Amino acid sequence: MRELPRRDFLKLTASALLTAAAAAAAAPVAWAEKFYREPPWRRKKPYWGFCVDIEKCIGCGRCVDACKTENDVPREPFYVRTWVERYIIRKDNEIKIDSPNGGMDGYPPVENPETVAKSFFVPKLCNLCENSPCVQVCPVGATFKTEDGVVLIDRKYCIGCRYCIQACPYGTRYFHPILQVADKCSVCYHRLRRGKVTACVEACPTGARMVGDLSDPQSNVSKFRENNKVQTLKANMGTEPKLVYKGLDKEVR
Amino acid sequence: MKDIEHLLRVAAIFLVAIALFVAVRSVVKPESYGKLGRYRAAALDEIKALPVRYAGQQECGPCHKTQAREKAGSSHRGISCESCHGALAAHAAAPKTAKALKPEESSMRGFCLRCHEAAVSKPAKFPTVEGGKHNPDMACSMCHKPHSPKI
Repeated sequence: MRELPRRDFLKLTASALLTAAAAAAAAPVAWAEKFYREPPWRRKKPYWGFCVDIEKCIGCGRCVDACKTENDVPREPFYVRTWVERYIIRKDNEIKIDSPNGGMDGYPPVENPETVAKSFFVPKLCNLCENSPCVQVCPVGATFKTEDGVVLIDRKYCIGCRYCIQACPYGTRYFHPILQVADKCSVCYHRLRRGKVTACVEACPTGARMVGDLSDPQSNVSKFRENNKVQTLKANMGTEPKLVYKGLDKEVR
Repeated sequence: MKDIEHLLRVAAIFLVAIALFVAVRSVVKPESYGKLGRYRAAALDEIKALPVRYAGQQECGPCHKTQAREKAGSSHRGISCESCHGALAAHAAAPKTAKALKPEESSMRGFCLRCHEAAVSKPAKFPTVEGGKHNPDMACSMCHKPHSPKI
């Protein structure tokens, strides 16, 4: 093979560097478009979000039951797409969390209520992560985030490897025993697209849950996020959930 | 030629491997994969087509005018009909054949107390009673009409 003279080599390297620099100088606009700073609902319509008002939840479990009915979530063996946790924090800082049958059939009475410092219910469901760990780990692209921000599962394409189930930091996924695929809260996508609210929102008697379009500044969820101090679960994980809670206690995980 | 023979051999192996990959991919890849993102776009239509069980609040009023009016003026106004009466999309589609669930008078106590039983975990503002002390032998509906519970 012919040897490359030093002069030619330097020329070649310099011209390559110059070309790259020129491209980079012309590119910042293109890169800025790739890495958006504003939330995605400024660009896409609609974009679904969910809000939970812990101060309104009475732990009746209607949401759990409604979700099961609407989405054929197995009752035997028992699985849930949404569930309600009861937190009991005693005056000596002992914390007990229970959710018998996801809260669907109510809760046993609290023992020694006089020693309770505070107690409340926390409804849990898919956190609608903007950066979903479950989507990132799926080896076959069977779980995905739609254009309108909802994380869904392609039941025909799922191979049932359960990787996503252990990846979800919020524990909202389970393995469907009949279909043999991973399953999760879809925020009732089939209802949202028909102009209806989710089954859990429909069944909630106190209005503790709400679903709506974040891209509309006048929508219920946009107003709720604007008028209340809201918080997400496990913000340190960088998942950027579109599910926000009002009145979230620091002990809630 | 002899100097680069080994390179050509490697290149040939690579070419065959790439051709094989492309061929297998074109057969295995679902048709709508990649249309909207790294997923099968047809899955969206399948999910959208899933059946609806809860009809939604707006469906009830047009037929059940009296109850809707009664409820609208009461403290239960925020509660959707299906919260107590169960999933009713089938009933809304065929009102004659699919009947709505009506809580029985005998089981009503447990039904009402699911929400209204006093407990430390419930929000302080929420109206509760101690079921064991508050007229334990009577059905709630003896005094409180479910659609307008205030006496």
